[in-house]
Amino acid sequence: MLSYDYVKCNDLRLACQELEEGEQVYLLAGGTDLIVGMRGGKFSAKTLVDIKDVPELKVLEEDDRGITVGAAVTLNEAVVFAPIRDNVPILAEGCHSVGSYSIRNRATMAGNICNASPAADTAAPLYCLDALVNIKSSEGSRSMPIKDFFAGPGKTALNKGELVQSILIPRPYPEGKGVYLKASRTGSVDLATVGVAVQRWGEEVKIAIGAVAATPVRAFSVEKAINEKGEKNYADAARLVHDDISPITDLRGSREYRYHMVEVLVRRGLEQTLGV
Amino acid sequence: MTEKLVINFTVNGEKEEKEVIIGQTLLKFIRDELHLTGTKEGCEIGECGACVVLLDGKPVNSCLILGVELDGKDLITIEGLSKNGELDRVQKAFIDHAAFQCGYCTPGMILAARALLDRKPNPTDEDINEALSGNLCRCGAYQEIREAVKASAEKK
Repeated sequence: MLSYDYVKCNDLRLACQELEEGEQVYLLAGGTDLIVGMRGGKFSAKTLVDIKDVPELKVLEEDDRGITVGAAVTLNEAVVFAPIRDNVPILAEGCHSVGSYSIRNRATMAGNICNASPAADTAAPLYCLDALVNIKSSEGSRSMPIKDFFAGPGKTALNKGELVQSILIPRPYPEGKGVYLKASRTGSVDLATVGVAVQRWGEEVKIAIGAVAATPVRAFSVEKAINEKGEKNYADAARLVHDDISPITDLRGSREYRYHMVEVLVRRGLEQTLGV
Repeated sequence: MTEKLVINFTVNGEKEEKEVIIGQTLLKFIRDELHLTGTKEGCEIGECGACVVLLDGKPVNSCLILGVELDGKDLITIEGLSKNGELDRVQKAFIDHAAFQCGYCTPGMILAARALLDRKPNPTDEDINEALSGNLCRCGAYQEIREAVKASAEKK
């Protein structure tokens, strides 16, 4: 059995202090990635700081800035939150496609991005929504765009002593439909072989893709063709996605398969959001 | 380094105070310390659902939770579902519909189904599929399981 210290924190300030002062401190919210990772040797913790009941991290609200999802809010709580369902359903889809119902009773959106898997299902929708990550430390607070938060497989832009306090989905919300299309080996529980988010913003479109590079990426080539050059042939536009991605071969699929599936899913996403 | 912590919780309606080893999963704690072996160990990485229990009424994978996280919570395991020697109607429906062969996935399936019926008394097929999406049955009794869940909904 693994041996480490366990500290239950009900105070955000104390959690930041533990992070700053301790060595190999890991934050425990849902634990669904952390506990598997520790058992598999991916993380070696000396101290776990349990933050799931820190009041500031349980915030789930909408105000004039947008929707704030606290770091300890579970994915099931986010999925049924009316402002998310009504204003940014693409994010509800992304949350809903993580793991299984029982996993989503524990797993959090902040945990999903902090684990920094390029395949994180909430990431591609968050990229399309220009989400902001609110970061807290003993020194103070800062925010950064989600695209700057992902630094590589398993790596984030967090410095020592920093934690994600919440994720903000800013107003204005997109006008138009958004879809998250996921290819995976099984209908649930599995990670994405590729995950494609396509969000319409009025007459324009934003596209983000997971599991095809070291971090989630935007499909700028496709976006440019649609938004600037007015490309109406979605199959031709989707083909351009090859310039935006650099997938690898792993147990979920080969590089070639990923190239193919991304093109298919981008085309479908364009058809479903912009209309055939 | 603290090796053990004392936690207070409710298990199947009974209040308990117990020591728990830090680092022990809730699954191991339930089986090895509480001696409630109805909760099964399958994959231990949250993919199979054999270890599902209800924590504050919600189905969760006990292999992905630490025993210490049980502090202050209300735990229901498969042993706590029957009342006064009478099986829960989901349990009866599983028997009536032969919704298992080897039975290893059954405790997790029944608890996940129980939680579904508590939040949606009349679930659709889609609701049932979603609620049981994290519970694998290697014998392939899915059809019967879905029928059993539907039948227990109708029996209200």
